[in-house]
This record gives sequence, C-alpha cells and structure tokens, in this order.
Amino acid sequence: MPETAIAKRPRRRVLVNKTIAPYLFLLPFAVLFVAFLIIPLLYAFDLSLYRSALVGGTRFVWFDNYRRAFTDANFWDGVILLFKFGLLQIPIMLGLALLFALILDSGIVYAKSFFRISFFIPYAVPAVIAALLWGYMYGPAYGPFAQLATAVGWPKPDFFNPTTILPALANIAVWEFMGYNMIIYFAALQAIPTDLEEASMMDGASAFTYAIKVKLPMIVPMIIVTVIFSIIGTLQLFSEPYLIYNLARTVINSHFTPNFYAYTLAFTGQQYNYSAAISFVLGGVVAIVSYAFMLAANRGVNR
Amino acid sequence: MAVIALKDVKKAFGSLTIIDRVNLEIGDREFVIFVGPSGSGKSTLLRLIAGLEDCSAGQIFIDGEDVTNLGPADRQLSMVFQSYALYPTKTVRQNMSFGLEVARLPKAEITRRVNDVAQILRLDDYMDRKPKALSGGQRQRVAIGRAIVREPVAFLFDEPLSNLDAALRVEMRIEIAKLHQRLGATMVYVTHDQVEAMTLADKIVVLDRGDIQQVGTPMELYERPANLFVAQFIGSPKMNVMAAAVRDGGIAITGARGFVPQSVPANLAKIGARPEDIALAPESQGHLQGKIDVVERLGSDTFAYVVVENVGVLTVRIVGNAASVAVGQNVGLVFSADRLHLFDVDGKAIR
Amino acid sequence: MSIVGKNFTSARFRRNRWLLTGVLALYFVYTFLPIWYVITASTKTNPDLFSSFGLWFAGDFHLWDNLRDLFTIQNGIFRLWLWNTFYYSVVSAVCAALFATFAGYAFAKYDFVGKKFLFALVLGAVMIPQTALVIPTFLLLSKVGLLNTPLSVILPQLVFPPGVFLMRVYVDEAIPSELIDAGRVDGAGELHIFSSLAFRLLMPGFTTVLILAFVASWNNYFLPLVVLNSSEHFPVTVGLAQWYASATQGSGGTLLFTVVMAGALVSILPVILAFLVMQRFWQGGLGAGSVKA
Repeated sequence: MPETAIAKRPRRRVLVNKTIAPYLFLLPFAVLFVAFLIIPLLYAFDLSLYRSALVGGTRFVWFDNYRRAFTDANFWDGVILLFKFGLLQIPIMLGLALLFALILDSGIVYAKSFFRISFFIPYAVPAVIAALLWGYMYGPAYGPFAQLATAVGWPKPDFFNPTTILPALANIAVWEFMGYNMIIYFAALQAIPTDLEEASMMDGASAFTYAIKVKLPMIVPMIIVTVIFSIIGTLQLFSEPYLIYNLARTVINSHFTPNFYAYTLAFTGQQYNYSAAISFVLGGVVAIVSYAFMLAANRGVNR
Repeated sequence: MAVIALKDVKKAFGSLTIIDRVNLEIGDREFVIFVGPSGSGKSTLLRLIAGLEDCSAGQIFIDGEDVTNLGPADRQLSMVFQSYALYPTKTVRQNMSFGLEVARLPKAEITRRVNDVAQILRLDDYMDRKPKALSGGQRQRVAIGRAIVREPVAFLFDEPLSNLDAALRVEMRIEIAKLHQRLGATMVYVTHDQVEAMTLADKIVVLDRGDIQQVGTPMELYERPANLFVAQFIGSPKMNVMAAAVRDGGIAITGARGFVPQSVPANLAKIGARPEDIALAPESQGHLQGKIDVVERLGSDTFAYVVVENVGVLTVRIVGNAASVAVGQNVGLVFSADRLHLFDVDGKAIR
Repeated sequence: MSIVGKNFTSARFRRNRWLLTGVLALYFVYTFLPIWYVITASTKTNPDLFSSFGLWFAGDFHLWDNLRDLFTIQNGIFRLWLWNTFYYSVVSAVCAALFATFAGYAFAKYDFVGKKFLFALVLGAVMIPQTALVIPTFLLLSKVGLLNTPLSVILPQLVFPPGVFLMRVYVDEAIPSELIDAGRVDGAGELHIFSSLAFRLLMPGFTTVLILAFVASWNNYFLPLVVLNSSEHFPVTVGLAQWYASATQGSGGTLLFTVVMAGALVSILPVILAFLVMQRFWQGGLGAGSVKA
C-alpha cells in the first residue's frame, strides 16, 4: 500500500459519544415515563392526602384517607374476594398451561402447532369482549348451558349466585390467559438444549421422568415470573366484573373488586381523594403479595 | 506508519484495577504482540489503544499526538475482532465499504480500494455474500479486509485466530505475517497463544495482572526471561522450575540429593531448566535421580516426564523418537549447567 | 422437536399419543366454544337467538342483515369505533415499541449513571394498579384540556415498560458488543451505529414488542372508558360494552343482542387473523424473553 495514502487524522469528532448516547436513547421513553407514570403517581399521592366536602371545600387531612381505607369493609371485602379468586384461578390456569406446554414440548401428540396456536388465540380477544361472550353463554334464558340443561331435564345452571359467580369469572380469566402462559412455558422448554434429553435417555429415564425431573425444574424461574404477573393481573381485576355487573346485579356490587370500588368512588361519587388512597393501598397489597411470594419461592428453590 | 506510545496508562473499574501504570512504546512498522493469561489485561490494553475504553489515568499518543480523549472514530486505527464482528445484514462488499462510507469518501475511491483489497485477500468471488454464507477462514479474511481498506495508521488484532481450527490457524498466521511484510504497517496483536506470539512478533509484551512483565524480541524472552512468570509462560512445554539454594559453592536442589557445581549469587531461591536443557543419563548418574512416568513421542521429538521424589515432575526433551526410553525406567538427569535460569526469592531473574 | 429414543411403534407410545391428543382436543373444544358461539349467534335473528340452540345455526341465516344493521345503527358509528381502535392501537404500538427499543438498547449496551436505579423503576412500574394511574391521568388530562381527545388515549399508552424489559434482553442476545465496537472503530457515531447496524438486527424483537403493545392497546378498556365521553371517539371495546349494557337493560330499544354479537365477531376476527399470520414473530420474541428471565 502506498505510503502517500495515509492522511493526517482529520478533526472530525463524532458529535454523540458514548457518554451522551444512552441518555439520548432513553430520552423519549423517559419523558413519557415521567409524564404518564411518575407525575400521575405523585399527583395521586398528593390527592390522597386531601379531603373535599360539599361544605368546607378541600382541606389537607394527612393520612386520614388511608386510615379510613384500612378500616373500610367495602375495600377489604374486595381484597379478600380477589384472594379467593386468585387462589382458584391462578393454579388452574398455570397448571393447565404447564401441562399443555410439557405435552407439546415432548412432541408426543398429533397436530402440535395447531393446538399451540389455537390455545393462544383467546389472548387476542379483548377482555371486555371475552366477558361479553361468556356473559351471553352464561345467560339463563338463551345461554347454551341453560338450553342443554333444559333439554336433558336438569335444572338450569345459575352462574350468577354468590357461590358460582367467582368460578364463573375465574373461568373467563383462565380462558383468556391460559394460552399466553402456555406459550411462555413452551418457549422456555424449547430453549433447553437437546443433549440434556439425550443424556437422560442414556441414563434410562422415560420421557415422563425426563419431563418432570429435568425439564420442569429448569423452567422454575419462568414459572415464578408468570405467577407474579398473574398475581398482579388478578389484583387489578376490573373489566370482567364490570361487564357482568349488569347481568348479576344481585351478586356484583359497586365495590366487588378494589379497582371497581376505586372507579365507582371516583366517577360516580366524585371522591377522587379517597379513591386515590384506595388505589395506593391496593398497590401496596400488590407489592406485598408479590414480594412475599417471591421470598417464599426463592426459599423453596434454594432449599 | 505510526508510533504508538502509552504513558502511565491506568484502567480501573471502581476499585478493581485492570491496567496499572503501563508505559510502552510501539515503533513504526513494528509487529507487537501482547501475551498473557486470561485476566492479564492484554485485551483491555488493546481496547484502550483503540479508544473503546477510556483511560482512568495516563496518556496515549499516536505519532506524537495526544489521542487520550479522542473516540475510536477519530484515531484512524483499524481493528480485527475475536468474533470478527462482521455486520450480519451487510454483504462482504458492504462490510468492507462501511467505514469508508462513514468517512464520506467518493464512491469511485471506495470501489477501487475495496476491489484492491478483495484481490489481495482472494475475496473476489464472495463479495455479494452475507457473512452467514462464509466459512470461518473467509470471515476472518473479510474482517482483515475491512481493516485494510480504511488504510489506518495502525492495525489492532484482538485474538483474531482463536475461533479457527488448528490447521486454518496456522494458515492464517502465515497470511498475517505476509500481510505485515507487504503493508509495512504498525500492528498490535493480542493473543494468549504463545506460539502465535513467538512466530509473528517483532516484539512481545508479556502481561500479568495488569502489569508488563517483560518487553523484548521472542528470542530475548525465551533466552533471558526477566522473571519466573515470563520463564514459565514462554516456551512449550513449560520450563522446569525447582526450589534451590546455594551450598558449598554450588546449587543444591531442595528435597533431593542433586547438586550442580557452579558458582552462583547467594540470593538464589529457584532454578529453571528448559526441557531441552536436561538430558537423560543411566541410573545413578547425573545431577538428579528419577523414574519415567509418561513418554510422549511426537516423531521429531520425544518428551519424557520424569518423577523426581520430593521435587516433582520434570519434562525432558529428547531429539528423535528415543526408542530406548520406556515408562518405568529409572534414570539420571543431567542439566546443562551453563543454561540454567536462576531466580531470587521474588522470582526475579538473577543475571 | 427432538424425539430421542422414543419408540414410535410401541403400543404404549401409540396409546399415550392418542390419549394426550384427546386431552388437547378437549381443551380445544373449550377454547373454541365462545368463538363458535359468537359465529353462530351473529347469523341469527334476535328471536332465534333466544329460541334456537345456542351452539348451532338457526334455520334463518341472518348474518348479512346483522352486519348491515351493525354498520348502519346510529349513523354507522361502529365503523368509526373500528377505525378509532385501529388508529389508537397502531399509533400507540409503533411509537411505544420504538421508544422501548431505544430504551432497551441503552440499558443493554451502555453504562451510565443511575442505570440500575432507572431499570428498577421501569420494572417496578409493572406493579402499579391501573386505577392508581388512570384516575390521576384523567384529572391531569382534564387540567390540560386533552380529555375526550384521541391523544388522551394514545399518549398514556406510549409508555410500555414490559417492552423495555423485553428489548433489553433481546438486544443482549442479538447484538454482540464487538459489533458495536467494530462500528465505532469504523468511525461511525453512536446514533449511526444504531440506525444502520443495530436496528435491523433488532427487527424480530421489535416486531414482538410491537405486537404485544398493539394487543395491549387493542384490548385496553379502562383507560378509554375513563378519558373519553363522546361516542365518536370510542374504541370498539368501550362502544360494544356500552351497547351490551343497554341491550341487557333492555333500554336500547333498537339495540339487539345479535347486533352486539356481530360487532364482537367483527372486532375479534382481524386480530385473530393477524395473530395467525404473524405467529412467527410473537412466538420467537416470547421465546427470547424467556431464555434469561
């Protein structure tokens, strides 16, 4: 290569160096994050420290709203209901998801991709429409379940009494989200290297033993993540009961779930301050339950 | 092309010091190799020169100009990476011309340079392929080509051959040596493979734990290692090292009856003997007594691993296939006394 | 799929195969039940909906009439709802995925002051109950006069923290740091490296986040329910739920259950089709997130 080709270093400094670049990349997200997450949260917290009354206007009451929330039976009834709902729905949903993911991953069944994709489809259906569809199907007058029961001479099933409403709602949630969790498990299972299977076959393990003793423990971290997301999702339950509300006025009231309660307080009662406090206490419950589960899970895993 | 100078260069991540006050001068057209075990800081030193890492202290000069605060883009260097780091979405031609396009060279100039280099590296037939469709050796050549087209002031190589299989590695090693002769460029090369270092380098820099242990030509390092670390790192198989002390005007090897009559300084603590500087002798003759444990015959050479009680396993190199040597034999060992390496308590060579 | 050492011909294997396929088929029936119901229901007349069997077609095929009703009732407002949903979802998803990709890239490939804290903040955001955000957002939007505008739905949806998390993991996997270093040595600036070298490699991850953000927006109900009050701005979810409420209360008069059913069918079919077409992307991306999580 000719010596003359070497030019003197030009003074062309790069404008954005690697100290500035990360902040530039973060900027759009950060601005929106602050505007639509941090500021609303701070504002809500500020709101929660005031009380407005028809007489006397708005005044600063410190943590009075929180004190009220802690003793508000309407709120805690909702929380307890969600606990029951979660204990019913999450194990069924995740258990099925795990079972189906293991079956599909083992490659033992026919039409694997057909099942995998069709189980995921409900995730594409908005929760509101899912609730609406199941609401129709639960209907005592024209729902197919009622029709089938009448046809064989059984009493019509009642999905809207105090004991059946929870399973009826849980069913909607299972229907919607089972496939989503199954896909996550399936992807995690697929990421397990195949030589592990070969090694366990050489050790004489059956496909079943391999699935339970080798594959399952390997996706435990993923299971923990899905449980936490399910807990968070459950405690925020709103759309399904809000939709079914009109069908089951007797069992679903305006404080059926905490989110529902906060919504009612804010938009029918105009009690924004107390509603904000309720939301914060709910956030606290979400955080405590998730954290407690994480602690318990970690202890279990490390044992 | 360029002189690269490092002055008191230091790199630390928090309290962890990777490079500690390194001073080094790399001459024009020199092929300098950094060697050292993993974690010695050799790659970090190269990345500091490239500008990919910022110095915690000290200065770096290229052709006398302080580039310490310039980014990699402004240093006019080229680098070949261990994983080649070819742009997967671009063809070979696009990979090679990317840097020139960034520099806004005229189109005709880019085409000319890329075609020239493609010819040198015999890449003409692959110019429109994506890296995915190339073999390991071809990818390596594209990475080198991408470095050459930019006509940099110096080339940096970060373990460029470690992803190749053994045969290809030898072939590429020779190609890089030829390239250095042809381009006459300053090259800085990092490797953990001391064979690569010995065969390619004009000058080797041996690093350990962020410190330069010794700088010198391959033969200097082999013949006159500055300390135990260099002595054991350069040369394959490794130099034999034994604890020793001065007694009665000679060297007494600790733990054995061995004695080498030779006048030595009083601060002797260890001696080293390269495998070729030890010879086998009949039982109960020579400086030490041992038993052959393993024999490796490479055809041209034979290595005998001899267990010496209380001293350890010593490696002996015998030229030829040494048909008479067998496992289990009791043998005597004879040192070439004038070729022994002497070290003090700190592991420093005694001259 | 690896089926190492499985004996395909053994009777036990075949029995298990049929048994497990049967289990999956059973769940498929359950999954498909509501969708089948909405298909049959939207082909019926309103009286037939009550008198004929729910899971089969009635004698009178009324789908086209129901669809015509759906698109003409209240001056064809349903068409507007569909368009709104589409518009809100596309704009929100594209921007949200883009911003999440930028942020994920910054978290994965750079060291900067406050990185750990900021990332923890993003992860913590997932735990915030919707009401805690939507109600103050509603009040703040009303202060700046954005309430009841498309922006009031779109802007809050541009923040998609799960996308940032997913993209961080994806960037880590898809872009070796040496590649970025190579670009730097080649003289490219940081933004140039992102736009001309990195982004194309991130397309699969970007697409996954795009789809997730799109679905999240398409399915969103609570936010538009709160911030919108004139029906010409409604997305399908809010509009249909309102029709549904008035139909169940019997106060709608002209609003028939069959029309609501046809509306449900029309609003879920496009997304289901999109999922079927784009399955390569969402499956790949969800997999990427799972490897390290």
